Amino acid sequence: MDATERDLFADAVRRATDAHVDDARALDGALEELGWHDALAADPRLAVPVLFESLGASNATSSALDAALRAGLGLADERGVVAVLPPLGGAAAPGTVTDTESVGGDTVSVRGIATRSPEDDTAALVVAATTDGNVAATVEANRLSFRRVEGMDPRLGLATVAGTLPASLPRAALAPGAWASAVDLVRLALGHELVGAAGAMLELARDHALERVQFDRPIGAFQAVRHRLADTLVAVEGARALLDAAWEDGSSATIAMAKATAARAARVSARHCQQVLAGMGFTTEHRLHRYVRRVLVLDELFGSARALTRGLGDDLLAGGPLPAPIPL
Amino acid sequence: MELDEFRAGVDDWLAQNRDELAPGHRGAGSLDEQVAQLAKVKRLAFDAGWMRWGWPERVGGLGGSTLPRAYLGEALTAADLVEPGIYSMTEVLAPTMIGYAAPELAAAMVPRLLRGDETWCQGFSEPGTGSNLAALSCRAVRVDRAWRVSGQKVWTSLAQYAQRCVLLVRTGAPDSAHRGITALFADMDSPGITVRPIETVHGAPEFCEVFFDDVAVPLDRTLGEEGQGWSVAMDLLPFERSTALWHRGAHLQHRLGQLLERAPAGSLDPVALGETVQLLATLRARSRATQHRMAAGERLGPETSIDKVLLATAEQALFDLAEGALAEEVLLGDDVTSARWRSEFLYSRAATIYGGTAEIQRNIIARRLLDLGDDR
Repeated sequence: MDATERDLFADAVRRATDAHVDDARALDGALEELGWHDALAADPRLAVPVLFESLGASNATSSALDAALRAGLGLADERGVVAVLPPLGGAAAPGTVTDTESVGGDTVSVRGIATRSPEDDTAALVVAATTDGNVAATVEANRLSFRRVEGMDPRLGLATVAGTLPASLPRAALAPGAWASAVDLVRLALGHELVGAAGAMLELARDHALERVQFDRPIGAFQAVRHRLADTLVAVEGARALLDAAWEDGSSATIAMAKATAARAARVSARHCQQVLAGMGFTTEHRLHRYVRRVLVLDELFGSARALTRGLGDDLLAGGPLPAPIPL
Repeated sequence: MELDEFRAGVDDWLAQNRDELAPGHRGAGSLDEQVAQLAKVKRLAFDAGWMRWGWPERVGGLGGSTLPRAYLGEALTAADLVEPGIYSMTEVLAPTMIGYAAPELAAAMVPRLLRGDETWCQGFSEPGTGSNLAALSCRAVRVDRAWRVSGQKVWTSLAQYAQRCVLLVRTGAPDSAHRGITALFADMDSPGITVRPIETVHGAPEFCEVFFDDVAVPLDRTLGEEGQGWSVAMDLLPFERSTALWHRGAHLQHRLGQLLERAPAGSLDPVALGETVQLLATLRARSRATQHRMAAGERLGPETSIDKVLLATAEQALFDLAEGALAEEVLLGDDVTSARWRSEFLYSRAATIYGGTAEIQRNIIARRLLDLGDDR
């Protein structure tokens, strides 16, 4: 795609996420028609930022995170298979092989979450860590227990997943590093979704600051309000730049920093924008709360800012090298 | 020259000439020593050609992309060969001369700055004019073929060493605000100029008061047109927030590595450490994008205020971390290494003050980038 085609593609994706905010299945269909999955296979650096920034900005949901995970694992794209993601907070493979020789052989213990309950999906993808590396298995979805959760962000439609599978089920060995690559790609996707949401909150707060009049002037004329919004823009633009550098540099270390920085920016944006929107933003009649809810959950997927930041510090204190500086 | 080729060439040159380039002093050195070291390194880098890449041929450069300028400063800074703040003044003052001086003047003067023959200073702030630059009152009136300048500047970095000064003066009515300002290029040995260095908190007399008592500046030393000084200043300030920040970020990265080597076990909080590393990476990523925009010929503007806020945040986070982890050295140490950590910690407090305070940067962001309208 040339620059014009890329812009047209980005516009079309954004129209789709805006049009299907509360209907993940309809959005999946629209993305299919737009050829987003082909774009993901051909050029993830184009497809991932375009879609996930739009998802964040529109507060829409789709099954695209599963597609990103499969692409990162090097697996063929397959719709109708729900992926089991790591439990909240971490990025370890959701399946682990448990030695239960005493009760008749090894089993795979599965614990994680999914972007949806498998209503239409007949199968589930499970990645499990074994002593010989990671394996991927596609199993009938009803062999695992999916429970749809409302929680902080009911619109996100997440499900928790648990279950035990026999170790003997058909499975394919994954290439060394495949899980790490998948984690990288999903973290980039989540980073873009977080900055998309952070930017959308900033737009809502900025519009409000210009419209809302108190003491005979728009509240956006007050420096205390202006500086909150300026700090938000700094956080969002900084996170965007680091995501961009992470694509350029491609190292897991930079990608982890970018995801943590994006989540922190989203929390900064939520805090400042909620304050600026004040009473208006504290009602469900205003859209802000949807974004606030969304970013709190996205932060915890595949490693929260808190966990990634502490992990980075711990690694350095254990004698690990500083992440190589991004080259000019 | 391509960046990769330039990078390899500079790295090789630095390795080959290590002894000749090395500073004679230990630790950070006194300001006198830093200024002398800077002149030496610039001269060697100019003669080897490296200092000339990325500058137009009409001012003694070798042309090409501006990216090599960013890399050269990064390499010199990371090797501890130059103090980044004073090195980067070239990045601020040379573009102003190239953009606004008469071509012959720029051709005669800029090579002296690039080669390290001369030090230049920037006469903007005044006792009554800090953040509110447009209120400056240092006055210039035309008498025959010259401006006669009277007034005072302050916080003028390196004025005690400088041969020249890029000077903002009021040529319009006292209340003409940004419309009545003109930029001049003054010789610091002109009769009537008095320079008084100011002792600063971090221990180097980096700033000066500069007094002008009926100082003659020839008319052909006007930068741009009469009354265009505000544009000169507004075009100069983004340069303070572009390549100069890339160099400073490289220096901070270098110091972070040294802090990790030096900090006693258990003295660094992993969360604060992790966050500082992320802040420095964010600054670098943002500044990298700015370097590439500049190299593509884009005009830099208010968006560089974001770079400056990121720099100030990262710099203060790093030295807060260092002050805590190296408390023994920072608070009690009298050796050169301790003195350097102490001085840099204290200097980091100014990161939210110099080149437009943290508040001014946020005002610029609110008005120019978020389009929030007037603040009153």
